[in-house]
This record gives sequence, structure tokens and C-alpha cells, in this order.
Amino acid sequence: MDVLPQLIASGIVLGGIYALVSVGLTLIFGVMRIVNFAHGEFLMLSMYLAIGLFTALGLDPYAGLLVAVPVSLAFGALVYFGVIRPVIGRPHVVQIFTTLGLSIVLQNTALLLWTGNFRQLRLPYGDDVYLVAGAAVTLPQLIAFSVAALFTATLFAWLRFTYLGKAMRATAQDRGAATLMGIDTDKVLLLAFAVGTLCVAVAGMLMAPLFSTYPTVGLQFVLIAFVVVVLGGLGSALGALVGGMIVGFLDVMGGFYVGTAWKEVLYFLVFIGVLLVRPAGLFGQRGAEHLGA
Amino acid sequence: MTAVPVRARREHAVPGCLFVAALLIPLLTDNLFLQDATILVLLWAGLASAWNIAGGFAGQVSLGHAAFFGLGAYTSTLLKLYLGVSPWLGMLCGGGLVVIASGFIAFAATRLRGPYFTLVTLAFAAVLQIVAARWYGFTRGNEGLSIPFEPGLANFMFTGKLAWTITILCYVVGVYAIGVWVARSRFGYQLAGMREDEDASEALGIDTRRLKVVAIALSAFLTALGGTFYAQYIGFVDPGYVLSIDLSIKFALMCIIGGLATPAGPILGAVLITALEIYLRAKWGGARSGLYLIVYGCLLILVVRVMPEGVLAGVPSLFKRWRGRAA
Repeated sequence: MDVLPQLIASGIVLGGIYALVSVGLTLIFGVMRIVNFAHGEFLMLSMYLAIGLFTALGLDPYAGLLVAVPVSLAFGALVYFGVIRPVIGRPHVVQIFTTLGLSIVLQNTALLLWTGNFRQLRLPYGDDVYLVAGAAVTLPQLIAFSVAALFTATLFAWLRFTYLGKAMRATAQDRGAATLMGIDTDKVLLLAFAVGTLCVAVAGMLMAPLFSTYPTVGLQFVLIAFVVVVLGGLGSALGALVGGMIVGFLDVMGGFYVGTAWKEVLYFLVFIGVLLVRPAGLFGQRGAEHLGA
Repeated sequence: MTAVPVRARREHAVPGCLFVAALLIPLLTDNLFLQDATILVLLWAGLASAWNIAGGFAGQVSLGHAAFFGLGAYTSTLLKLYLGVSPWLGMLCGGGLVVIASGFIAFAATRLRGPYFTLVTLAFAAVLQIVAARWYGFTRGNEGLSIPFEPGLANFMFTGKLAWTITILCYVVGVYAIGVWVARSRFGYQLAGMREDEDASEALGIDTRRLKVVAIALSAFLTALGGTFYAQYIGFVDPGYVLSIDLSIKFALMCIIGGLATPAGPILGAVLITALEIYLRAKWGGARSGLYLIVYGCLLILVVRVMPEGVLAGVPSLFKRWRGRAA
């Protein structure tokens, strides 16, 4: 059997998932200029939510999205008012350590509540395999990719065509000017954080059947999300999509040709290289790296 | 200018008390736990002070200092194990190597600001951690390297805690003295200018590129020395700890809690954080693991919000404000 179609299919599926995790991170960074180090922990919480819904109510993660959407929006708003809002406009160090502190709290809350054991969500149809263009893809992978694609497309349309989406992009470009144009930037920041949390929560629900869940699972994915976001350009949603695909492919190809042990080095080197050579990434705002904030 | 000596004396009070107390503890008590905790507080104080030069004085917030620490620890350990080189010499080799490696971070600092720079430092340490973990033939990977216990001054290995306390005290006092020098020197004032407004300093003719390179190299060198002290004291080096992001965070955290860009801040921060860790772990660590880190994380969020200038300056100013309101 030819291995290339399989690698391509796996790369696309993984890329779609990475893109969804990263879109949330880049949205929060682009609009708020805060690097959310707790992003991975939001993902972890959502994976636990998927497991909880499945074991307690027998709800599979795709139906569980109906629960995850309002819960994550509310959670995002809560975190925004409780933790993030007071440090907006404060020095960069304060912001970094606020989100790092949040990450420590959430990680250890999970450890306390659910222990450090690895959990795997096993769906009854989890092993159904389909052949797509000569590549074997499981049903959860197929659904994950389709939902991720649909969700990202909706988000793009929302950012592009609605008033709120435009207000958000305006705030990302220049918060001061946006305020002067009559945009309620305080509300936009809240919305950006809540929607960013929603993105990662959806990603978590889709990922629960595909990966093991444990309290520090977020760290692994948030590092990948940083790579994706930097590659695509911090703050660019399109960049997150393209970057997610590239890193997904790098991950799969690197795993096959270089070996799983070294593939992580590969994408960290890409990450450092991009930051040094072209800090704006593929689609980011040129020159933002010199402003820093 | 006549007020300077008075202020200077008060400024040295916190570190001075710590240094004297640390020296007295192994003399006054046989409690091994307390002696060990003291040595670690000193070591963290030195490392936090080293981070402070880049992250505090120069304002280049790095979350990759574990890379320098780990390189220092690994260089002296590998030289000792493979070639039998004395760790004292190995420490200097590690320091030299790290100064070269720090050039990379400094290069990043000249091109990137704010979160962009922090992300590069994070990735830099992550790459080194993966390499050290995977290069099994050279570093024994995640199994780590044990340093054989051969006490002797030449081997940088002591049996008594008093000898260790004195050795590590020398390190901390040295790093602290450098911090005090930086704070008062022309170099330090230039760093302060760059930290407050980089563009304005450049307009005034300050070579910010040179400042960043020197501050980061100095900070990295001192961190690498700390790495060797740690490796020799613990007798074991593994990538999961000495190159971890947790460690990078720890250096920065102690500085921020104590007070950025002040010589005494990181010392106070190291004492507070280590004491808090020990206290919380003793109180709740056994019952349910994780609880103490939750409290720790909450306190971190709270402290950076209420007193972003750190405890050293924040507590007196809070007290003053409270007194002002009462009056």
C-alpha cells in the first residue's frame, strides 16, 4: 500500500484540529495583545467535559457540543472579568504571570478532581474506518475535521461580515482608534476572550475521542498552538488556519521520515526561524514585533 | 546625595539578614531538613538575581533561562564523567559555552519585543530539553546522569552542610554584588532608560543593542554557574528538571514576587517562594496533591495584580496608603 495518501490524509485531519486550537489563541492575542498561557488548560478542561458528559449522561462529544458552547462562553466571560480584565494595559510581565498563574491553578484543580491518570474516551463507533482517496480515516477523525472546518469557516464569515466581527478586527488593528470611532472596545475584548475560549472548547470536545486526557495534556498542545500562531502570524485568523495545516503536515511527515523522537525539534526550529526571519509570520501585521504590545 | 548611605544600608538589610541567618543555621541546628532548605533558598536567590539582570534591569523577560542553567549543569557534569575534568573548571567551560549560546537569545532580543521575545526564549529551552532527552548515547536521556560521590575540594563535593552553605553563599553574595553594581553603574542607568522607553534611549544615543547583548550574556553566565552548583549539590542532572519550563518560570517568578530590577528583590522573592512552597506542601501536599499549587497559583495572580512592583516595594507602599486613609 502506498503510504503517501495516508500521510496526507492524517496531516489534513491533524492540521484542521491544530488550526482550531490555534484560532482561539490568535484571536485572543490579536485583539487583546495578551499571550494566554492558560489556553492549553482550557483545552484540557473541555476534554474532561467531553469525558464527563459521555460517562455520566451517555452523551457523545458531538451532541455534547450543545453543552460545551454555552458553558465555554460563560467560562470565558467569567475568567475575563475575574482575571484578565484587571491586567489589561498593564506591563507585559504582569500579563504573562497572570495567565501563567491561571494555568497553574487550572492544571492542579484538574489533578485534584480527576487524578493524574490518563483517560481515553472510547466511542462505540470509534473504530469505524473509512477509505477516503486511498487513505484510512476513522469516523471520529472525519467528524473532527468536518466540524473544525465548518466552525472555522463560520468564524471567518463572522469576523468578515458582521458588525461585531469588524469591530473586533478594528480593535485588533488599533485599540485607541477603534475607541475613538465609537466602538465599545471593552465589550469587544470580552467577546474576543469568550470566543477564543469557545474555539478551544470546541477543539477539546473533538479531540477527546482522539487523544488521551490528563491534567497536563494542554501543555503539549499549547506549545504546538504557539508554533502555529507564530508561523501564521500572531493575530491572524487566516494565518492560524494555514499555519495549522503546515504544522499538521510537519508533524505527520516528520513523524514518518525523521522519527517521532525528533519531530518536535523540527517544529520548534521552524518556530524560532520564523520569529527571527519574519516575525510577522505568513499573514501577521508587519512591524507588530517592534511595538511589542 | 547625602541620603544615599542611609538608603543603601536599608537596601542591604533583607539580603544581609538572609546571608547571616543562612550561615548561622548549620552552626546552630542539626536539623538536616532546615539545613537543606537553607542551601536551596540561597541557590534560588542567586539564580533569581541572575535572571534579574536580563529580565529585571534590562526588561528582557525570558522564560528560557532553564536553557542556560541546564547547559551549565550538563557541561560540568559531562566533562567530569567523560574526561574527569574538575567541576570547577567545568563550571567555567559551561559559563563560556552559555555566553556563546546567549548570543542567540540576544540576537532575538534585538529583533523582537514583548511577547515575541518571550516566546523565542521559551522555544529555545524547549529545543535543548528535547535534544538532551533524546540524545541517549551522550546524555543518558531521561534517565539522567549521576555524579559519583567523591568528596573533596578539587571535586567540588562536600560532606558537611556547612561547607555547602559557605560555597553557595559565595555564589549568592557574588551575584548579589553584581546586581548592586548594575543598579548603581552607568550601565544600570542606561538599562533603566532602555527598559522605560527603548526608542527614546536610542534617540539619546544609547546603543541598546550592545546593552541587551551584555545584560543577557552576564545573566546567562551567572545562571550557568548556578547550574553547576545545583548539579554538584544534588549530584544528579536530568532534562525533565534542569531544562524544564517550570524552572524558567521559577526564576522569573521569584524576581517578580520580590521586586523586579532591584538587587534585593530576587533575594526576598526566593525566600518567600521557597518558604511558601515548603509550608504549603507540608500542610496540604500529603492530603491531596495539587492543592498547594492551586494556592500558589492564586497568590501569584493576586500579587502581580495588587503589587506589580513586588513585595519589597509593594508592602511599604500599601502600608503607607493604608495609613494615609486612616489619618
